Amino acid sequence: MLILGIETSCDETAAALVADGKTILSSVIAAQLDLLRKYGGVVPEVAARRHTELIGYVIQEALDKAGKHLADIEAVAVTAWQGLVGCLLVGVAAAKSLSYTQGVPLVGVHHIEGHIYANRLSHPEMPLPHVCLTVSGGHTMLLYVGGDGKYELLGTTLDDAAGEAFDKIAKFLGLGFPGGPVIDKLAGEGNRRAFAFPRPMLRAASYDFSFSGLKTAVINMFKEKVARGEALPLADIAASFQEAVAEVLVSKTLRAAAERGVTTVSVTGGVSANSRLRAAFEEACRRRGFKVFFPDLSLCTDNAAMIAAAGYAKIERGEISGLLLTALPNAPLPGQAGGIV
Amino acid sequence: MIVLGIDTSAYANAVGISDGDKVLADSLYEARTDSLEQIVANIDATLKSAGLKLADIEGIGVGLGPGSWTGIRVGVTVGKMLAFGTGKPVAGVPTLESLAWAAKGEGSPVWAVISAGTGDTVYAAGYDFTDGRPVRRGDYYVDSVQGLTGLLKGPAVLAASRAEGYAKIIAGSRVRGIKAVEARPGGAAIACLAAARLERGESDDALALTPLYLKESTARAYVNRYAARTKEK
Repeated sequence: MLILGIETSCDETAAALVADGKTILSSVIAAQLDLLRKYGGVVPEVAARRHTELIGYVIQEALDKAGKHLADIEAVAVTAWQGLVGCLLVGVAAAKSLSYTQGVPLVGVHHIEGHIYANRLSHPEMPLPHVCLTVSGGHTMLLYVGGDGKYELLGTTLDDAAGEAFDKIAKFLGLGFPGGPVIDKLAGEGNRRAFAFPRPMLRAASYDFSFSGLKTAVINMFKEKVARGEALPLADIAASFQEAVAEVLVSKTLRAAAERGVTTVSVTGGVSANSRLRAAFEEACRRRGFKVFFPDLSLCTDNAAMIAAAGYAKIERGEISGLLLTALPNAPLPGQAGGIV
Repeated sequence: MIVLGIDTSAYANAVGISDGDKVLADSLYEARTDSLEQIVANIDATLKSAGLKLADIEGIGVGLGPGSWTGIRVGVTVGKMLAFGTGKPVAGVPTLESLAWAAKGEGSPVWAVISAGTGDTVYAAGYDFTDGRPVRRGDYYVDSVQGLTGLLKGPAVLAASRAEGYAKIIAGSRVRGIKAVEARPGGAAIACLAAARLERGESDDALALTPLYLKESTARAYVNRYAARTKEK
């Protein structure tokens, strides 16, 4: 089954063609990096306007790269839940229209379920059940994946998403945007034990996260050094900050896995591309005898291939949306109380 | 030529079908928050009410705005993707032009006015009729409704939703001979205006079609003002 996936939940306009939920024939992502640099972040109205300009071209390019025609499409999957509503609705409007003209099923996908499937797409052999940490600039969630389409939210961030802390610190230190890759690169030259930044909620019983205080601690230390006219060891700051984030994420995820009696850990989302986070997970999982999986780097940040893969699984489960599908900025994951199907 | 017209700029899903200047169907669904949810179902129901199938449609017209920014993104995206999916030509029609068309035969010039949603700001444009089609004269106007009085030099027709209210404000500034015509963006009006262009072979590139916002986003306006100030220094 050939599925067209569409994703416009934040600032990436993306379309992909995926066969049988397994084989990526094309995955096109138009990132709005010029706008991010100009405004220092995502401005919903600006991003929504850009999606409207790009959506048709991105879909056309996904078809061209796969060597397929619109008539070959057998279903359309689209991110309908979780994200900026003005952005989501561009993708949903496009998906509904194409489902209608082609007479093929339409399936709405929760953005987080897409990230879960990014890793299942990269590693079809990944066992179930498992614990999944999905972490990006927009969310930080720890989930128990009990089976196909069965999700239990264990914890989430109470304030900033982990990736948001990377972006805000990079912006404050004048390192550029997006913050994840620039901090990762700079941290490679620094000492991760140079500064003992706080590990927020590390010892808390809950699986929730908080990154706002850590961000403030980094910014305050930087300001103090500037005030005292001291040297600014940016690489050490970046490495120490990154280490604090990694330690909290690894520790809570492994504790959740142990408590749930699973030995498989899935780490997805934009921050799962971070090299130190990957190394810290590998190291900790080796010691505990756990197995950790990360998506291919091309599937970490927002993309439409993961949406097509999740959409295929939903079609297999008979979860098809009608033409009344609509975009919702906040919605519980499928399988949860009050969750979207 | 059978044309499907859509406009979602004014908190309503307007869907109509025309054949030349003959209206085959014209529907209006009041949509406050469910424009996206209902739009394709509204299109399907309107086609069925005219006894037509999607395959019978020979062209697509879409209201480009101005109006609700979120609203016009729904309609323009649906319009361009229906054109892309069916391979039929598409023509974008400024929503102000469709309001002027609704006041056809009421006199000339027609000033079409749409609330910009913030305070008393309006989007407006003046139209004359040539061969029964509205032709815009001058630039689009985006400013206060009171400021519009400076542009209306003599008697004119005012085509708008809540046109009486606008007419009263303008009459209050001693501009004489203002005739208010109540008009809302309509699907059949968009279809008729699009058909005229499509029949002349003037279609838009479906993939390139974008809304007519007439106002930059607040963030862009801020960044531009900041850049201008920095440049002055």
